[in-house]
Amino acid sequence: MARSRKKYSSGQTWQAYIFNSPLILITLIFVFLPVAGTLITGFFRNVTFMPNKFIFLENFYRLFGDVHFWQSVRFTLLFVFVSVGLELVLGMMFALILNEAFPGRGLMRVAILIPWAIPVAISARIWQLMYNFDFGVINYIVIHLGFVSSPVNWLGSPVGAFFSIVISDIWKTTPFITIILLAGLSLIPDELYKQAMIDGTNFIQRFYYITIPLLRPVIVVALLFRTIDAIRIFDLIYVLTGGGPGGSTSSISLYAFKYYITGDFGYGSAISIVVFILASALAVLYIKFGNFAGELK
Amino acid sequence: MKEEKVKKILLYAGAIFLFIFCIAPFVWMVIVSLNKHPDFLSNNVPFILTINNYIQVLTTKSVHLLDYLRNSIIISLAAAFFATFFASLSAYSITRMNFPGKIFIPIALLGFSMFPQISIVGYLFKMMTDFNWINTYYALIFPYITLGLPLALWIMLSHFSQLSKELDEAALVDGASRFQILRKIIFPIALPGAFSTFMLIFIYSFNEFLFALMFTIDYKARTIPVGIALFEGLYGQIPWGYIMAAAVVAIIPVILLIALFQKYIIQGLTEGAVKG
Repeated sequence: MARSRKKYSSGQTWQAYIFNSPLILITLIFVFLPVAGTLITGFFRNVTFMPNKFIFLENFYRLFGDVHFWQSVRFTLLFVFVSVGLELVLGMMFALILNEAFPGRGLMRVAILIPWAIPVAISARIWQLMYNFDFGVINYIVIHLGFVSSPVNWLGSPVGAFFSIVISDIWKTTPFITIILLAGLSLIPDELYKQAMIDGTNFIQRFYYITIPLLRPVIVVALLFRTIDAIRIFDLIYVLTGGGPGGSTSSISLYAFKYYITGDFGYGSAISIVVFILASALAVLYIKFGNFAGELK
Repeated sequence: MKEEKVKKILLYAGAIFLFIFCIAPFVWMVIVSLNKHPDFLSNNVPFILTINNYIQVLTTKSVHLLDYLRNSIIISLAAAFFATFFASLSAYSITRMNFPGKIFIPIALLGFSMFPQISIVGYLFKMMTDFNWINTYYALIFPYITLGLPLALWIMLSHFSQLSKELDEAALVDGASRFQILRKIIFPIALPGAFSTFMLIFIYSFNEFLFALMFTIDYKARTIPVGIALFEGLYGQIPWGYIMAAAVVAIIPVILLIALFQKYIIQGLTEGAVKG
């Protein structure tokens, strides 16, 4: 205490807290309080029109035996793994393209922001129409190109629905990864590549020995950021498949939501806590690895 | 030489693929919205251009498209304004003043920003019910400010920390208050950063779905993503032509922003993710 009194002047400390008070207050009320509330509600039987009752871990026991919950965990993890992986590969390709000078690059940078900026709920509806079994443009294309002989039931089969969600998510979020990677690429000095070219390396060698190692911190940040985001996926699935067919594409968030809207806040909170723990573990990693980006600058 | 040629071909092929990949769904939406029959790809259904879908969604009162759009714009503007304002105040004090918690605040906020929305939406719903805020703008503006704050704070921090502290010290000697210095000297210099913050938070708020779905009931506060997601036909059939026309109208504001301010948006996105 004595040390901090010496270090900080009380006038300035007061003033600084006044400057920070709007941010702190609003965060405490609208983030901290509901998070704490959810954590506590998870230990209660909290159902609309029923008395609130402390049941300690019962919601979590129920969770362990809940087949549908585990199905949603499995779906969410598989979705995160497949979509974030593909987004990273595609995003890297796009970033490498946009890092080169060619006519029309400016237009391209506008085009790439379109999928990112259109609200997910709206783009989900566009995809829903494109995946339509009878008159969707995607079936039209795959049939006319001869990939399949009869229409694919995109949203009506578990596998089709899974890949429909993955494709739509790739479309929506690859631009974000591209922009982040592009920013990282632009920080790599040109001289490194020029020197490597003089040394007689080819394109793949330069990518492998210069681009990847120097870009690694940015890749880690982009990966963690996207993973945290993908774990909580809700709106795309809510609109595109509603979790169907037969609950096969229900994410953890969607599963929790279903309990909230039926008024079972206790169990809904318990499910949310699982998403919360998953995301928090990754968030700690993200904050830790985020420093890499600072070193790169 | 040969490598150069191969590279060029790959580059152009990739660029064309990228362009089509990004805009194809968007273009398809516009095509369907301008068509009499959304199922014109089926056999024997003619392709007839019309703007009737637009006239219908804009003039039919029960669709409430323009109400949703107005709600979205007002809510997103308010959230973007307050988040940028509050973040600027904090960022100024963190970069300029010495006080306990100056490291903790931005890190804690960054941690909060990783919280999944689902883990607060249930309890927030109860709070909003207690406040009597369900189906009002407040129910969305306040949560959206908190969603935007971490990003806003980190972008403003990176801008303010680049500005010399001598600016402040000279003004302090002249008898200016801290708030005056922020308002008249620091903030105007960092205005481009504040602008990209504002843009990003506007777009994120405009896109938000889960809170809007939970906390609004009808056209009084419902936002455009929820309006379009819940758009159903009167007679059981999904009115794809109307939905696509409504979707085009809905995204006009966002497309305009991108076309006009893409530089700021890209800058904000890059700073926001790489630095925080």
